[in-house]
Amino acid sequence: MQKLRQETQGFGQAVPPAQSAELIHTNTISRGTKFGFLGPAVISLAVIGLAPLAFAIWTSLYNYNLTKLASMRFIGLANYANVFSDSAFWQAMGRTFTLLIIALPVQIAVGMGIALLLHRPGIGFLKTITRLSLVIPMATTYAVVGLLGQVMFNLKYGVVNQLLGFTGVSPINWLGVPEFAFATIIFWDIWQWTPFCALVFLAGLTTVPPEVEEAARLETKNWWTILRNVQLPFLIPGLTAVLILRTADTLKQFDMVFTMTRGGPGSSTELISLLIQRVGFRAFDQGLASAQAMVLLVITIVLSRLYIRFFYREV
Amino acid sequence: MLQKNRLKALAAGAAMSLVLYPATASAWSLEEAAEPYAGTTIDVVFLLRPGYEAAKEMIPEFEEKTGITVNVTDMPYENALGEQVRDFVAGGDLDIALIDLVWIGNFAENEWIVPAEKFMNDPELADPELDLEDFFPLTLDAFGSWDGRVYGLPFDNYSGLLFYNSCMLEEAGFDGPPETWGELKDEYGPSLTQDGQHAFALQSKRNETQSADSFARMIWPFGGSFLDEEFRSNLTSEESLTGLEFRQDLMQYMPEGIVAYDHAEAVNALAQGDVAMITEWSSFYPTLANPETSAIVDCLGVAPEPEGPAGRKPALGGFSLAVASQADEEEQAAAWLFIQWITSKENAKQYLDLGGVPARQSVYEMEGVAEEHPFVPALVESWQEGVPEFRPRFAEWPQITEIVQEWGTRMMLGEVSVEEGASEISERMEAVLEEAGYYDGDKPLLQ
Repeated sequence: MQKLRQETQGFGQAVPPAQSAELIHTNTISRGTKFGFLGPAVISLAVIGLAPLAFAIWTSLYNYNLTKLASMRFIGLANYANVFSDSAFWQAMGRTFTLLIIALPVQIAVGMGIALLLHRPGIGFLKTITRLSLVIPMATTYAVVGLLGQVMFNLKYGVVNQLLGFTGVSPINWLGVPEFAFATIIFWDIWQWTPFCALVFLAGLTTVPPEVEEAARLETKNWWTILRNVQLPFLIPGLTAVLILRTADTLKQFDMVFTMTRGGPGSSTELISLLIQRVGFRAFDQGLASAQAMVLLVITIVLSRLYIRFFYREV
Repeated sequence: MLQKNRLKALAAGAAMSLVLYPATASAWSLEEAAEPYAGTTIDVVFLLRPGYEAAKEMIPEFEEKTGITVNVTDMPYENALGEQVRDFVAGGDLDIALIDLVWIGNFAENEWIVPAEKFMNDPELADPELDLEDFFPLTLDAFGSWDGRVYGLPFDNYSGLLFYNSCMLEEAGFDGPPETWGELKDEYGPSLTQDGQHAFALQSKRNETQSADSFARMIWPFGGSFLDEEFRSNLTSEESLTGLEFRQDLMQYMPEGIVAYDHAEAVNALAQGDVAMITEWSSFYPTLANPETSAIVDCLGVAPEPEGPAGRKPALGGFSLAVASQADEEEQAAAWLFIQWITSKENAKQYLDLGGVPARQSVYEMEGVAEEHPFVPALVESWQEGVPEFRPRFAEWPQITEIVQEWGTRMMLGEVSVEEGASEISERMEAVLEEAGYYDGDKPLLQ
């Protein structure tokens, strides 16, 4: 206590001993302590997040190709102009949003259904097994999920076509035909991330006070009424988190698609992150790739702000 | 032609310089040359392909003789360029550059690799038996040389070959493989495409496979090319368009989803008897001739690629090894000794027997080699007529190949017509070349 008093007095903020002993206000903590606690996180964030971001902004303003460093020069917003006029960028963006618009509602709906089933009383052991098995898809490395997909959806040797064969359906070229390949990555994304939604919603359902829920059940047997008026308000924070995380994840979806189809056949599964990787690391045009990444970042931030604004307001 | 003459002159000069040091030459041995560099470690990127496995089996012998450690990093082809570019830009550890023929201009222009003359003119390091003229001129020119200077020695060498299932061909009434692309499509195509089997598979996945194995393979035999003499696009010429139209027509005899086929899928399709013919790199022969990976070992046939109206212009690909500029003097010397040893005449037979494909003419003249390795006659014939600029080898190729891959695939999928696709590639390719300064005289027209 003596030490604390000395420290606070050192900054000219003398506090009566009795009061400081009862309550330590943040403004009475020394700068050194604050920095000691916050500093590592802020410095890590700056080094890992902000410095590369600043570098990306800088490179996006340059003609910066790794194989032509001799001709590197400042070109202002030319890379951004190139991004906005490049049909390949907008097509990739279109595919990414198509994936998001189809996969996310399905994940939320099915995830909600699973959560409601698991929330019902009874068959405890089975529910424990189910809860555990729900963790497996999302605990699997993204790249491995893609490789699994590549094997399972293989035209000749894949287990999916083999199972279809038992029902008399001819083999489908899942990964060789553009439309099927895109449908397959949507399905695969839904498979991997529906359990995540289910677990978040299940956690949300457990926050509903049991007496409130019981009282509601005495009032009505209609599950939709209970869900809408009693459970949903408690699920909104989880739903917002799911929307933000899954949107951000989908916009930067790379590993699974890269290992499964490498963006093909043709460009049919080339999502925006695959395009950026291709431009930046196969054509080595770091300037253009950085500009593409900056545009993607802005779109992600705007979407996240919209989610928070519209959904959190309802809480 | 000028480039070839310069290359010959350089090779002759190197040979002359070796003759001028008879005392040193007679005394030269790898062990003595390597003495000052014992304990040095050299880093190199290898691919996950048979030629590299063969080299890895040979490396312990080199390490034992020299005391130099060779540190190999394996990676798939698709990652090898990016890995090396990042390493060279960042001043990393690599002491040897593994150079695909389409990377040589890029590496040389960026001065990431050292001209071989530095070492060939050093009697302490140059093996008197190096004999550059023993390499097939096409491979030394295409894989290892840029602007008349030799940088790398041909190491992992390919030519496109026609692999076929002779049993399927015989059943359909054919005595042998097609001589021309026209025959392949018009006669073999309809007869061999039935009951779920297809006459031909042309690997066309959207990566370098699309550019090299599919797109380029179809324009050259029909008289087309990527660029004309002024470096303007030649893809909208009648000859190039004829080749690309031919590819579209030929697709009716290929399996569905051919744009998703990479090398593995095409080789597997032939190996499992699903298709009758493929045009693939010579290096896949061991896979197709191995009973563990192929069901058609007894039916496997190999021939040069078919001819087109412009002659036989088989796909040309391959890798050389060159010393990296970023290595220090000791590492450079050790790297050169390794490159010289692994590509030497003396080791060529062992490399061939272990599954590699050397570019040494002398090894293919040895008695019994053609019988032991049935793909040899077709390979040797292919290397007589190849085109070094089968794919342009300048520094702009990484950007241009991306354009070719995108629009070449879209053509095949029918999203754009052949003419539209060729125009799009031409326009974008010329924009890249203009930006690089080829049209205002800033850069020599080298490809």
